Order: sequence, then structure tokens, then C-alpha cells
Amino acid sequence: MPILKFENVSKIYPGKFMALEDINLVIEGGEFLSIVGHSGSGKSTLLKLIYAEEQVSGGHVYFNNRAIDSINQKHLPYYRRNIGTVFQDFKLLPQKTAFENVAYALEVSDETQEEINELVPEILDIVGMADKAHKYPRQLSGGEQQKICLARALVRKPLIIIADEPTGNLDPTATWEIIQLLLKINSMGTTVVLATHNKDIVDKLNRRVIALDGGKVIRDIKKGRYAI
Amino acid sequence: MKTIKLKRTFKEGLDNFRRNGWLSFATVSVLAISLYVISVTIILGISANMVLKNVQDKINVSVYFNSDVTESRILEIKDKLVGYQEIQSIDYVSKEQALAQFRKIGEKNVSISQALDEIDDNPLLSALVIKAKNPSQYDLITKAISNSNFSAEISRIDYEENKAAIDRLSSVIKLVEEVGLTLGIIFVFIGVLITFNAIRLTMYAHKHEFEIMRLVGASNIYIRMPFVFEGIFYGTVAAFVVMICLFVTSKFLAPLTRGSISGGDIVSFYFSHFFIIFGGLLISGIFLGTLSGIIAIRRYLKV
Repeated sequence: MPILKFENVSKIYPGKFMALEDINLVIEGGEFLSIVGHSGSGKSTLLKLIYAEEQVSGGHVYFNNRAIDSINQKHLPYYRRNIGTVFQDFKLLPQKTAFENVAYALEVSDETQEEINELVPEILDIVGMADKAHKYPRQLSGGEQQKICLARALVRKPLIIIADEPTGNLDPTATWEIIQLLLKINSMGTTVVLATHNKDIVDKLNRRVIALDGGKVIRDIKKGRYAI
Repeated sequence: MKTIKLKRTFKEGLDNFRRNGWLSFATVSVLAISLYVISVTIILGISANMVLKNVQDKINVSVYFNSDVTESRILEIKDKLVGYQEIQSIDYVSKEQALAQFRKIGEKNVSISQALDEIDDNPLLSALVIKAKNPSQYDLITKAISNSNFSAEISRIDYEENKAAIDRLSSVIKLVEEVGLTLGIIFVFIGVLITFNAIRLTMYAHKHEFEIMRLVGASNIYIRMPFVFEGIFYGTVAAFVVMICLFVTSKFLAPLTRGSISGGDIVSFYFSHFFIIFGGLLISGIFLGTLSGIIAIRRYLKV
């Protein structure tokens, strides 16, 4: 069953800038999908439509057969809890420790303190950050911060992970660590959608690749390499 | 709202307050300065009023009656005057009481008591001592009395002698009230504006975090509540700070006000009104803090 479906989706930003045009895509549960394209090709917009940061201008995006644009504004936070997000700029809360940043995702969904105390160390262990749980983001390297982000995205056991250039700010070693983690998460059944510029990653992954250009899908290959 | 949410957002607010040390310090300072200026204006206004009321209480108009007017007649007139709404109180002072008072004043002055002894008869007149509700009304009252049907029985009204002092006092009172009110309104306005701006900037600093919280799936209430609590902390701490500053200020001003406020000086005023002042500060601090917080967040909170 498809977890995500784009149906004739277009997105026009104010000022009549066409960011996406007539996108039709089906993403199956458990897939590992890379989205490639130049800056401004519409990668980030496509991802924003998934986690409802932006709304479609035309067409529909379905998540588990439910149109996202039909979700009541009030219920969006609950919808977002199905989705883990990872970004190039990490987006960690600067005044919280690694542990607290991960715990925050559980706190907002009213998990009990016992569950938090059990789940957070477990997930920090998975991403290999158990020993840095009480460090603040500013005390961590880029790679370490991104691992905390991944832990935060994972801790609620989302159905899908959206990663927007997660390795954009990382050195090659850290980059590979993050990709390895994404693969590990994917192998446990979570769908991963990765937007990236990094040719090496895409080539080595050898998974489905979607290329965007000027807001349109120009290529969709099952086991592809980086090419625009 | 669930207790767990309330507990967590409270803790969140407290953490924000503690961990953003400098930002909290700056916000509390601005809030405290505004509250301080506002409360000093109000307290100065109140104590100026008290000083003036104190002086005002000492002012009165005496209406002296001809010596042939009987006591019962004077009391009859008094009853008539009681009906005037401008009059606060009327006291009857008989010529015997007047003499006794005069002798008391004259005790130390031999020539007065000698002079009184010389005259067998009591030379003083019975009088009605009238206090007006408002000093500006003395003029009206004396005019009404001199134009009344018993004006023939009146020997003299000593208002004319005090007129200059009374007029000056009533114009001073009016001026103090007007200036105090105008300054008060201006300072309240400036205070609200500055506080609002400071808290708006604080929220602006958090703007990036709102986005993160939304992406993690926090509901609006979960994002907003910690800042509401933060506003409450700002208000509370500022109220404490201002209480201390006001105490120091009143200690400093105390020698100037001693004796002119009924019941002591400004320090005793501070202590006798401690809870009213503190409560007022706490409520306005919290109100200002949370309201500007909520208004500021609204701008940065889109779902």
C-alpha cells in the first residue's frame, strides 16, 4: 500500500512563482527514496508538502490514503507526529540538552515520564549518542547534532522519515554515519525520503531516485544513480 | 488541559527563564523600570493628595453670630445648613467654649489673661465652624450664607481673611491632580509600550524555536504555554524588584514627608499599603508580561 501519493500536485508561492508543477508520484511503505535536483528545483517544497509546512496550490497529497490538505489546522500537530523530519541545519532547541531535545518530541505527545526515561536512552543508544545525552547542541559537532536530530525524528516511531539535505553541513565521515543510520532505520521498516545534492551518496545507495528540475519530475528510476 | 501538559509547560517556561539568563535579566529590568516609574507616579500622586488633604482638613470657615442671637436659634440655623451638600461638617462653638479656648491659648500670655480678667463680660461671639467637602466651595458657601434670610443675625464671616490661602490651596490641589493624572497616563503608556517591545524582542529571539517545535508536532498550546509562564515569571520577579526599589525610594523620601501625611511618613504609608501595592504590581506585571507575550507569539505562530 502506498504511504504517500502525489496527485497532479502544483505549488505556487506568492508572487506567482511556480515551485512545483503537475507532480504525480507514488511512494510505497518501506521504500528508501532519494530526491535530487539543483537548488530551486523544488526538492524542499516537495518535502514541505509532506509534513504540511506548506499547502498544495492544486492537486492532492495523500498520506496513508488521506488527503493532507483535508486535515483540520488544529489536527496538524497530531498528523506531524507520524512523520520524522531531519534538516541540514539540525533545528535542535539550543537551550535543551541532547536528551531533552529528544524527550521534547515525546513530551508534546503527552507520553508519560516513565516512557520518556525508557525510550530516549534506547534511541540515543541506537544513534550512538548515549554518552553525550547531557550535552547541549553547541557542545556537539555537526555530525553529532545530526544524530540527535535523527534520534528525535525516530523516537516516536514514525511511519516515514523526511530528510532534507541532512548531510549538507557534514564532513564525509559524518555523512556516511548518517546515511548508515538512515539505512538502518529503513531496514527496520520505516520509509525514508532523502533530498540530497551529494552524488556519492546517491550512487552508492543504488535505490530509487527521483530527479526534479524546474518544479517537474524529469526522471524516476527504481535503482538509479545521480543524474540531473 | 491535562495536568501533565500544565506541569511540563510550566517546567519548560521555568527552564527558558533560567537558561536565557541575560535575556530574562534584560526583560525583567525593562518591566521593572516601567512598573517602578508607574508606581512612583501613582504613589507620589497619592501622597501629594494626602499632604493636601491634611492641610485641607485644617481649613474651615467660622460664621460669628451677633451676641443677641440665642443658642437655640443658632442650632436651628445649623440644622438648616446641614442640608447643604457642599458642607462636610458643622460644629457649634458657643461663646463660653470660645472663651475657654481663648483662655487656654492665653495661659502663657499674661497680658491676654489680664485683659480677659479686666472685662467681666464675655466679649466673644458664638460661632458655627463649617468645613466644606472641597476647598473651592468655600466661596459658594459663604456667599449663600451672607445672602440667606438670617444674614442680619450674623456678625461676621472670617472667610475673607482666609480666602487667599484657601484659593491657593484649591488651585494647588487641582494642579497636582491634573499633572499627576497626565504624567501617570503618559508613564503607563510608555511603560506598556516599552514592555511590550522588550517581550516582543524576546519572542523574536525564540522565533526559530517555534518553527522547530511545530515540526516536532507540538500543538500551539504546547508552544504558547511556556511563554505564558515565562511572562508570569517576568512579572513576578519584576514585582519583587520594584517592591524593593520602592522601599528604598520611600526611605529616601521619608524625611520630606514626615508630619505632612496623617499617620506618619511615606515609609509608614508603604508598610500600611504593602499588600495593596505588591498585589497591584504583581497583577500588572503578570498582566503586562503575559499579554505582550501572547500578542507577540501570535505573530510567529502559524500552524
